[in-house]
Amino acid sequence: MIANRKNLRLITKHSFIIAVTFAALFPFIWMASISVKPANEVFEGALGFLPKSISWDGYLQVFEQTPFFTWAYNSLFIAIVQTIGQVVIAFFAAYAFSRFKFPGRDLLFYFVLATMIIPVQAVMIPTFLTINMFGWINTFAGVIVPYLASGYAIFLMRQFFLSIPHELASAAAIDGCGELRILWHIYLPASMSAVAALSIILFVNHWNEFYWPLLVLTDEQKLTLPIALVHFQNEGVMEWVPTMAVSTLSTIPVLILFLFTQKKFVEGFANSGLKG
Amino acid sequence: MNTVSTHVQVNVKTQRAKRTAVNTNRLRKWVWPYAMLSPALVLYGTFFIFPFLFALFLSFMQWNLISPDMEYVGLENYRNLFADDVFWVSFKNTFVYALGTVPASMMIALGLAVLVESVGRAREIYRFLLFIPVVASLAVTSLVWMLLMNPHSGLFNKYLSVFGIEGPNWLNDPNWAMWSLIIIGVWKAIGYNLVLYIAGLKGIDNQLYEAAEIDGAGKWKQFFTITMPLLAPVNLFVLIVSIINSFQVFTTIHIMTQGGPNNATNVLVYQVWQEAFQFFDIGKASALSMVLFALLLIITIVQIRMTESKVHYQ
Repeated sequence: MIANRKNLRLITKHSFIIAVTFAALFPFIWMASISVKPANEVFEGALGFLPKSISWDGYLQVFEQTPFFTWAYNSLFIAIVQTIGQVVIAFFAAYAFSRFKFPGRDLLFYFVLATMIIPVQAVMIPTFLTINMFGWINTFAGVIVPYLASGYAIFLMRQFFLSIPHELASAAAIDGCGELRILWHIYLPASMSAVAALSIILFVNHWNEFYWPLLVLTDEQKLTLPIALVHFQNEGVMEWVPTMAVSTLSTIPVLILFLFTQKKFVEGFANSGLKG
Repeated sequence: MNTVSTHVQVNVKTQRAKRTAVNTNRLRKWVWPYAMLSPALVLYGTFFIFPFLFALFLSFMQWNLISPDMEYVGLENYRNLFADDVFWVSFKNTFVYALGTVPASMMIALGLAVLVESVGRAREIYRFLLFIPVVASLAVTSLVWMLLMNPHSGLFNKYLSVFGIEGPNWLNDPNWAMWSLIIIGVWKAIGYNLVLYIAGLKGIDNQLYEAAEIDGAGKWKQFFTITMPLLAPVNLFVLIVSIINSFQVFTTIHIMTQGGPNNATNVLVYQVWQEAFQFFDIGKASALSMVLFALLLIITIVQIRMTESKVHYQ
């Protein structure tokens, strides 16, 4: 009797979670479904969301008529360079914040926290004018450089460094290790896992970035995937089927990365500020 | 006499030597952190502090981004802004969006977190699947949502019509557009909050529940007497992050509604964009940026005050 009731309760729980999960994933299912529909079937009256017949026309159209691979390459390049730059800069900054006591430290740290809170939109006009002054409109440097110092990355790395016992570094310092050697031989190996988690999160964020690249990049050959999608959608150049094909194609890399690094990914998110 | 004075001299000498040693030591200790912070500081200076001061300056100017002429107008931009109905609509909408997304996404995420954690091994799979909306691009998903919410051919209204309900014109009806964006905002935020809550739940000692069980406390009672109080710091953290995120909503608005219909979905962040890059009123856009900044600063200070004792940054 009791076992039965327990089972029933478990089944109820599972069905409820499955229903919510299905709702959460429904947009993706529909996206993939439309991407393989024949164009005339998209708005058909049927209630079913799966395609009746599969057609790869949408994908062919994308590969033949748009510089898809250029866009994908642009997205990849920007995401990788920006991620590496942010991690390296954050690594040094976080080390300084967590290992030294120096005048202005707390003030500077509050400043870093503040940069996380202020929306980029609040300073976007002058930032835009600044990169214009540097001649960086329509360049990848214009997308990457202004946001190389990431408050989020510095904050996360610092949180992690604070958990590395001070004694380790002190002992090394007494043995005559310079700061760079301590950083390289103690902090870097100890924080590989945190660096990996942070890199994955940053990479995905930059791969998906919309707001700033939208402002900086206008040349068709320079666009990233999300910008290209919306750009062409707005101009009515692309129909729904190829649009959903590009959408699917630009989601797949992130999903694969997420699938393989799931634990690190979630760890990185969960650690962002919860360490007591 | 003599011996004493030499002794004193020697003493002074060693002290001086010690002091300079301390000084160089301290100097070395200061040089390193500043050197290591310098790349970040240079970048912040160039792309954050300078733009911020420049925005402040521009907020007192009249300028259309293109012409070489800039005119000092004092506080006129601010006066115009506060006299502008659209500003107050955006102001209200910003809060409506936050109130619509934050509590809902927090409550659903917390409930789901407790449920998912209680189902045994399958929880890994659920957690993975429920997190997918977080990692997917909002630009991509906005387009999919647009299709789903299409009044004639979108699946939403097709399904509603099965039950004899005539679905709304989601994104084009001023009464529904904001709700549509809120639905998407909640959908996007749940996975993120869920993971934060799961991390928080894992930190709670299981013995507490076992003890409560022995005392005869039911699941609900355990939830309200153990889970909720112990999750308080997590709750506050999720609250802060959610509010900050909700104030920065841009992508969905830009792609799906452009602030319309009739400004029903315009928010402060989006209005800055409109004023600057659609109407080329840089002065007004900059004044609006400053108001937005002040608003976020106030909210953040209040939150830090509230949380100071509960969330630790150290």
